[in-house]
Amino acid sequence: MNRFVLWRTGATAVLLAVLSALVFVLQQISPGDPARAYVGGNASPAAVAAAHHRLGLDQPWLQRYGRYLWHALHGDLGISLRTHRPVTTDLGQFLPATAELVLFSFVLALLLALLFALSGALRWPGTGVYRGLLLLAGTAPAFLLGLGGIVLFYGHLHWLPEAGRGVDTSSPTGFVLVDSLLHADLTGFVAGLRHLVLPGLALAIAPAISIGRILRAGLERAYRSDYVRTARSKGIREITVLWRHIVRNSLDATLSMAGLQLGFMFAGVVIVEDVFTWPGIGYYLAQSIPQSDFPAIAGVTLLLGGVYIVVNAVVDVLQAVADPRLTV
Amino acid sequence: MSIIRIRRRWRIGTMVLAMALGAAACSGSGSGDAGAGSKPPTDGVLTMGLLGDIGQPPDPDIYYANNGTAIMINVYEGLVQYQNNTDQVKIAPRLATSWTVSRDNSVYTFHLRHGVTFHDGTPFTSAAIEPSFQRRVAVKGGAAYMVAGVKSVQTPDPYTAVITLDKPNSAFLSYLASPFGPKMESPTALTKYAGGDHDQKYLSTHDVGTGPYELTSAVSGTKYVLTQYKGYWGPKSPITTVNLPVYSSAAPLQLALDNGDVSAVVAALPSSSLSHFASDPNVRNYFLPTLQSSLLTLNPSKSFFASKQARLAFLRSVDQQKLVSQVLGKRSSVATTLYAKGMIPGDADKQDITYDPSVMAGYAKNLPSGTTMTIGYANGNPNAQNIAEILVAQMQADGIKATAQGYDTATVFSWPQQPTKGPDAFVDGNNGPDGGDPYMWGHVFWDASGGIDYFACDVPQVDAELNQAVKTGDTALYVKAAEQYSAGGCYMNLSYNKDWIVAQKWLTGVPQSQNLGANELNFSLLGIAK
Repeated sequence: MNRFVLWRTGATAVLLAVLSALVFVLQQISPGDPARAYVGGNASPAAVAAAHHRLGLDQPWLQRYGRYLWHALHGDLGISLRTHRPVTTDLGQFLPATAELVLFSFVLALLLALLFALSGALRWPGTGVYRGLLLLAGTAPAFLLGLGGIVLFYGHLHWLPEAGRGVDTSSPTGFVLVDSLLHADLTGFVAGLRHLVLPGLALAIAPAISIGRILRAGLERAYRSDYVRTARSKGIREITVLWRHIVRNSLDATLSMAGLQLGFMFAGVVIVEDVFTWPGIGYYLAQSIPQSDFPAIAGVTLLLGGVYIVVNAVVDVLQAVADPRLTV
Repeated sequence: MSIIRIRRRWRIGTMVLAMALGAAACSGSGSGDAGAGSKPPTDGVLTMGLLGDIGQPPDPDIYYANNGTAIMINVYEGLVQYQNNTDQVKIAPRLATSWTVSRDNSVYTFHLRHGVTFHDGTPFTSAAIEPSFQRRVAVKGGAAYMVAGVKSVQTPDPYTAVITLDKPNSAFLSYLASPFGPKMESPTALTKYAGGDHDQKYLSTHDVGTGPYELTSAVSGTKYVLTQYKGYWGPKSPITTVNLPVYSSAAPLQLALDNGDVSAVVAALPSSSLSHFASDPNVRNYFLPTLQSSLLTLNPSKSFFASKQARLAFLRSVDQQKLVSQVLGKRSSVATTLYAKGMIPGDADKQDITYDPSVMAGYAKNLPSGTTMTIGYANGNPNAQNIAEILVAQMQADGIKATAQGYDTATVFSWPQQPTKGPDAFVDGNNGPDGGDPYMWGHVFWDASGGIDYFACDVPQVDAELNQAVKTGDTALYVKAAEQYSAGGCYMNLSYNKDWIVAQKWLTGVPQSQNLGANELNFSLLGIAK
């Protein structure tokens, strides 16, 4: 098992290095000029050339890449050409918002998936409408879902806010819901929750369907299995049969899918954050790309790539723990 | 427990969850509670929606982008500014009450306003000018050129400053009046917070200015907050706090304006929203003059427009009237001059391109079958995209395989160094000079050393004339340079663009708070109707 974990850790480091090299190559071949972002749109060629020199953009890209990797290993991801701040500072500011949104969406996705799977597998009457609506919403891309939600719930119904997190900054954790509870600020908690609902749903629905489908298939398999029939015949209460024998035995593939979807959510959060002006790293990335802010783009890419790889590695390890045959 | 009871419990659980979410949705006092329109604020809070983040730190010597000028002109002040509420390019007093210029445009003497203090309490005197200029040069921002030619700043008394340039420059007052121009910064604060980066870290979240508002919060990508400076020398506005929330796209910003959560939006909504707000009884629409234009630039480095004949034929096929009426609407008018509106007295810089599509149609007939061309526009500018698509349709009607292509800002700004990598033509939906002097237009758009001569369509004679004209301010020479450049067929001034400001009805003083150089409002001159 230790060898398996070591192997996955090493592979993660190599993947991150490859990812950063890819971003570097993309920057090299893209026509944009990052120095322009630094000095501003109308800057003269002389000012741009001076910025090139100051930023080291006039050096060979391999040399720059080597320096970037060396600094990255020491926790320095460079200076954002747009905000003029260290990228690590920017990521520190924006990451909690993303983490809160993704975790909220993930919990929402699990709840929606559970409802989707149980209602389908157990044939609960009247829930076909719910499943149909979820499937319908799942066919729409996240940005469309987000915009539609804003128009309906903010523009027409005035139920939910249209943008942002409800507060400018949040401390000590950076999670609005947690911080407001820590400060016993119920108003802040409700405001934070209201701001989370629409982007959370936009991000959660597609993963909910993926997870729900897998869980439903597992539930249906388990529901008709011999051991469930045996458990019932022994007179075990139905609720115990459901949770202990049906749901738990359906979770193996569901956990894999949930882990995969969590990784996808970190990747897909870019669009949702941009639609809702959610001040997370996805929004930060969306603002950085048009200006060729390479240090910011590379920093976010490494972070999101790292999260994705780590989540999948953790799922692999957990599966290996559950089924040691996988490590063979 | 039977499966029926499980279902019942589940239903109860889901009902509770739905009620909790519904209660969360309907409670609180978040930004979504307002109805259509809004009542005048009683707490003096104004909310001005920003479309996109300001893009750079709110540092007056770094900032050289777009909507962040709202912060620059309200938090900081320069010696002069452009006069508000007029479509003429006129320099007006700000921290300087009067000035004189030497005959050769190399010595500028300013008499400064008394009773002005910086936000840290330091009195504003002539001693503040040189450190402000020096910092601008030291941080090497895009607008550092404005003070690069300052040879010395003499201070014969605390309220007089004599600025000597290293060579004559008739545009210097325009540099100082520009929203990107040098602002006065507290020398005390500059010394105190200098750090190792000339105060750059400090000024990304604080300010050291004299303006009517202080920058009290700056959360990049989220919101900027300005709070009224109690010691301001000028008129006191009822607006005590200005929130500048950032919206990533126009749709939620428009909805926020509809719902009354945003008090006003300056030059940020697309033309497609014109009719919506024109018929909205809860808001007022203002169309105020600017130095901005929509521009059409042709690329002589690409084969399609390599010949002057092709370029001129294409420009003659552009129906300015149609483009302005179909795409830009009331926020623009047809450009008839080569420089920005009002830069040359009497509109002597007339743009002489007569509309005649038959010339291009005739030229296209002689092109090889399947000839292709691309018309570019900047991503995120729907007006430019619409214009490009109309021009493409026109070219296709002439038998040319034309396409419209969007480009990111960084890509667009890389073309002057590599014009062959650009499209055949580019529609710049909205751009303008840093200030109102014709040199600031000609040098930036027509001179390859200026900054945004997109396709390096450069005429050395024109550059020389512009460089000569800026020494003397000779209007006739500016006109001559413009006509020579226009004759090359690389350029067309499509439209004069206006600041389209949509504001809640209770917001007063909008035209009086705007000037053609700033593209933003001086919030201290706004009022609240009861």
